[in-house]
Amino acid sequence: MKPAPFLYHRPANLADALSLLRAHGSAAKPLAGGQSLGPMLNMRLARPGHLVDLNDLIELDSVRVTDSFVEIGALTRHHRLAIASEVRRSLPLLSAAAATIGHYAIRQRGTIGGSLAHADPAAQLPLIAVTLGASLVIAGPEGTREVAASDFLQSIMTVDLRDGELITALRFPLPVGGLWAFEYFSRRHGDFALVSVALSFARDEEGKIDALRIGLGGVETVPLRLPEIEARMQGRPADETTIRDLAAAVAATIAPEDSEQVPAVYRRELAETLVVRAFQSALNREEGA
Amino acid sequence: MSSAFTEIGRALPRKEDRRLVTGRGRYLDDLAVPGALHVSFVRSPHAHARILGIDSAEASEMPGVVGIFTGRDLDQLTTRLRIAPPIEGLQPTELTTLPIEKVRFHGDPVACVVATDRYLAEDAAECVTVEYDQLPAVTSIAQALAPDAVLVDETLSSNMVSHQSLCVGDPAARRAEAHRVIEARFALHRHTHVPLETRGCLADWDDGRAHLNMHIGNQVPHPLRSQLAKRLGLSESQVTVISPDVGGAFGQKIALYREELTVAALSRHLRRPLRWREDRMENLMAAAHAREYECRTRTSVSETGRILGLELELDEDFGSYCFFPANYMARVIALIMTGPYRIQDYAYEVRVALTNKCGAGPMRAPMAVTSWVMEGTIDAIARELGLDPIEVRRINALGPEDLPYKMPTGELLEDVTPRETLETAVAAIDVAAFRERQAQALCEGRYLGLGLCTVIESTTYGSEFYKSAGIPGSGHEAAWVRIEPSGAVNASVGLMGTGQGYESPLAQAVAEGLGVRSEDVTVHMGNTDVAPYGMGSRGGRGATAGGGTLYLCGLKARERVLVIAASMLDLNGAGELRMRAGQIERMIDDNWQETGLTLADVARRAYLDPLALPEGIAPGLDFSHSYDPPAMTYSNSTHACEVEVDPRTGAISIDRYLVAEDCGTVLNPIVVRGQQQGAIAMGLSGALLEQVVYDGSGQNLSATLADYLVASPNELPEFEILHHHTPNRRTPAGIKGMAEGGVMGAIGVIANAVSDALAPRGVTIERLPLTPQSIRALLREAAPSPKKRTQP
Repeated sequence: MKPAPFLYHRPANLADALSLLRAHGSAAKPLAGGQSLGPMLNMRLARPGHLVDLNDLIELDSVRVTDSFVEIGALTRHHRLAIASEVRRSLPLLSAAAATIGHYAIRQRGTIGGSLAHADPAAQLPLIAVTLGASLVIAGPEGTREVAASDFLQSIMTVDLRDGELITALRFPLPVGGLWAFEYFSRRHGDFALVSVALSFARDEEGKIDALRIGLGGVETVPLRLPEIEARMQGRPADETTIRDLAAAVAATIAPEDSEQVPAVYRRELAETLVVRAFQSALNREEGA
Repeated sequence: MSSAFTEIGRALPRKEDRRLVTGRGRYLDDLAVPGALHVSFVRSPHAHARILGIDSAEASEMPGVVGIFTGRDLDQLTTRLRIAPPIEGLQPTELTTLPIEKVRFHGDPVACVVATDRYLAEDAAECVTVEYDQLPAVTSIAQALAPDAVLVDETLSSNMVSHQSLCVGDPAARRAEAHRVIEARFALHRHTHVPLETRGCLADWDDGRAHLNMHIGNQVPHPLRSQLAKRLGLSESQVTVISPDVGGAFGQKIALYREELTVAALSRHLRRPLRWREDRMENLMAAAHAREYECRTRTSVSETGRILGLELELDEDFGSYCFFPANYMARVIALIMTGPYRIQDYAYEVRVALTNKCGAGPMRAPMAVTSWVMEGTIDAIARELGLDPIEVRRINALGPEDLPYKMPTGELLEDVTPRETLETAVAAIDVAAFRERQAQALCEGRYLGLGLCTVIESTTYGSEFYKSAGIPGSGHEAAWVRIEPSGAVNASVGLMGTGQGYESPLAQAVAEGLGVRSEDVTVHMGNTDVAPYGMGSRGGRGATAGGGTLYLCGLKARERVLVIAASMLDLNGAGELRMRAGQIERMIDDNWQETGLTLADVARRAYLDPLALPEGIAPGLDFSHSYDPPAMTYSNSTHACEVEVDPRTGAISIDRYLVAEDCGTVLNPIVVRGQQQGAIAMGLSGALLEQVVYDGSGQNLSATLADYLVASPNELPEFEILHHHTPNRRTPAGIKGMAEGGVMGAIGVIANAVSDALAPRGVTIERLPLTPQSIRALLREAAPSPKKRTQP
C-alpha cells in the first residue's frame, strides 16, 4: 500500500496549475482533498506520473450567492458547505447532504470539485448537483467552458474532463423550491449510501406540488434525475396517494446494479422506501417551520 | 472473601494509559533501526493454482532491491511446520515456509522482495512474474467434503482434515421417547480479527553474537521464541523475542506466521536488519480468519420443554493451511455446548474441512458460536412447543443445587451462577412490560424483539486441558517478583498484553500478595530475556494464570520479607506481622500497629547487610513461582437485548442491551468493564456488519475496510452491566477468566432478538450476519405481514 512513483507539484495559483496540467496532459492528476485519490494512489489503482496539488489555490475556496445562482469554488470543503450560513440559506439541500459525508475529518478535507471529478455513483455532492441542475465551470487550455452536471457525469468514475482541464466551480441555479429532503441508507454512520434520495419542490397556493426535482444516488452508474416522473407529479396534491404513486413510479423506473452482496431488488425496495420517507420529511419540515 | 483484599478490586486507572493516550507508546514502527531493509510479499491472485515458474530477473535489477526470495530459497533456510499431534481423526499436515508447488488461497505469499525501502520493495514486487496453472477452487464446506472434491492439500486423503465424534448416555433412546424432536440450524460466517495494528516484525540478526533479536507484537513471546528457534535451527538461547506496545491482536498474533519466519530467516541470511509491516489489504486477506461454522442441533424434549438429549453436528471451514491443529477451536465448542443446562445424553460429530481460503485461527472467543447454537436451540424449543422461552431456560438451567456439575463431556462446572444471572437479566428487562410494548408496536406495523442468551465461558485452560485434548503444550504460567535494594518492586510474567490493560490488574495481584501499593509495582512483559518462560496470553487466561501466579509469587516474597522483618524487630517469628502498603505492622492487643519498619528497610538489609540476616536466609529478595491452574475455570453471564427491525429497509436498531455477568473475583473493575464492553462490541460488530466474502472462484472481495465493515461507536448501544461475583474456590484469590464471554453472548442474543422480532412474519434467523439485505430477503420470502400494511 505505497503509491507508485510520481512527481509532486504545488502550484501557487490557478494559472500555474493549469499550465502544469497542460504540460503533463493525461499523466497529471490534480490533488484536492485527497480523500479518494489518497487511497487510490496507495492501492496503486491510480498511477499518475505527476500529482498537481491544488491546496494553495485559495481562490477556489469560495461561495458566491447572486440572484440567479450560487457559485461554489471547486476547492470548497464539505464542512463549509455543511455549516456556512450562506449555503444553508440558499441551498439547504446541499448543506444537509454535505453534512452526511463520511466523518468530520473527511469533511474537513474533501472538496466539492474533487467529489464531482471522482464521480462515485453513491456520493452525495454529484447527486445534489444533478438534482438541482447545477453546472460545472471548467478551465482548460481552450479557455473556460460550462457543462451541466448531468452531462459531466458519464459513468462510474468517468467524467467529461479532458486532459489539461480543471473544475474551478459549480453553479447552482436559483431559485429552488422551498421544500426539500435528503434521505440515505448506509450500513454504518459515514459510509457511502446504498441508496440516497434528494428531493426539492414547492407548493402552489392550493398546496399542490410544483417544480419537483427528484434525484437518486447509488442505484445506477451515475446519479439519476427522473424528469418524466417529476413532470407527472406537477400539480398533484401532496398527499399519501401521491407519495405512494411517486415512490412506486421511481421503483418501476430505475434499473439498479445487481450484485450478490446488494441485489437489485433490495436497492429498488430501498429507493421506494426512501422516496416516501424523503417526501414525508420535507412535509414534516414545512409543518415544523 | 473479597472484602479482605486491599489491592485486588481497586478501580486503579490503567498504568499504560499515560503513554498510550499521550501518544508516547512505542509500537513496532516506533523502533528506529538504522540500515534496516524493508520487505514486500508477492501474493497469489488465484485461490488455487500450480506455480509453474517465478521470474524475478527484471525485478532484481530495480533500484534498491537487495534480493528476491521464493519458497525454494526459504526451504533451505528454515524447517517445515509439521502439525501432527496424536489426536484420533486428525490428519497430520506439513507446510513449507513459502509455497513451492502450489498456492492455496487468494493472497498466499509466493515471493519476498527485500529492498532498501518499502516503496521500492512494492515497485519491485509488481514486476515479479509468476506463471500459474489455475486449479479449481474449493470455496465451501459442501464442496470440500464432496466425494470428488479437488484436494486443497494433496498430501491428505481428503479435505476433511479432522473428524471427531462422541456419544455420552443414549441420545437415540431419548429421541425415541421424546415428546418432540426439534431441529435447528446455525450458520456463522467467516470473520477476521482486524487489530488496529496489523501484523509486522523487525528481525535484527546480530552476526557477531550469532543472535536473533525479533521485535514483534505477539501474545505469546516464549512459545514464539521456541517456534522461531526450531524453524531456524537455532538454540533458544540464540533468540530473543521482544514485544513492544501492541495495537490489538484478538488471537491473530499467536502463531508464528510464514511472513514473519521469512523475515527472520532472511535477516540471518543477509546479515541485515529487516522489517515488515503488513498493510491493511494483506491483513484482511491473508493474516488469519475465523469462525466459519455450520451447525445443526437435534434436541429431544419433553412436553414442558425439558431437554432429554442433544445431538450436535458441527462443520468448520478451516481455510487452506493449518497453523493450529484443525480440531483446536471446534473441539471446545463441542466440549462446552451444553453450557448452562442440565443435559446428560449428548452426542456430537465435528468435521473440519480445508478450503481455498485464508487459514483459520482462534479469534477472541474461538468458541463464540456455542452460545448462539445452544440458546437458539432453546428458543427453537420454545417456539415449536409454544412455550415461554424464559420458562424453557428456567426448567433446564443449572441452579446451585446442581453444582458442582459434570457436563456430559466431563467438563466440571463449579462456582457458576447461570440461573442467577438469567433471573437478574430478566428482572432488569421487565419482560412483561416489554411484551406489552411489543404487541402495541406490532399493531403499528413495527417489529420489536427481545433476545436472551446465557453464556458459560470457558477460560484459563490449564495443563490438564491440553493433556486431555492431546495437544502438546502447557497451561501453566510463570512469574518472578524482585524487590530491589531500594524497596522498589519489579515483577514479570510470561503474558503479553496487546491492549487489554494488563499493567494495573497484574500489579494489583502482586501488590495484594506482597503487601505493597499497586502503584509501587512495575510489571515487565514481552521480553523473553526478562520474562520467565510462560505460555502467554490466550484463552482468557491472563487473570487466573497470569494474575494468579503473580499473586502467589507475591505471597512467597511477603513471607520472606516478614521473616527478615521479624529478625529486625527482634521477634521470634513473623506470625504476628503483616505488611500493608510497604509498612510492616504488628498485631498488638488485637490491633495492627505500625512498627516503623518499611519494605525499604528490609530490602536494604537483605541486599546490603546480608551478614545481619537470620541464619539460613540468603541475601537478596528475588522470587520466582510457577502455577498450573485448573483444567478450566468457568465464568457465566446472561445477555438481554431489545431490538427494532425496520421491515422496509431491514435495518436493525438496538434499543437496549444489558448483561448480568459473573466473572468471580475482579482484579480491577475498570479493566473488566472495558473487556465486557469490548467483547460485546466485537460480537455485535461481527453479527451485524463484519463478513469475509469470497466469490465462487475463491476471490476475496472484502480486502479493504470499505468492504469489511467494523462497527464504530455510532453503531453500538450503551451496555448496562450487572454484576455477580462468585469466586472460584480452586484458584488463587478466587480469580476466573473473562473477556470472551461478551462475544459469545452478543452473537447469540442479537440473533435471538431479531428472530423474536420477526416471529410474527414466520422468520427465524439461521444464518449470520444480519445484514439489512439478508433481513429483507427473509421477509420477502416469508409470509406477508399479518397486519394491515402501513406507511413506513
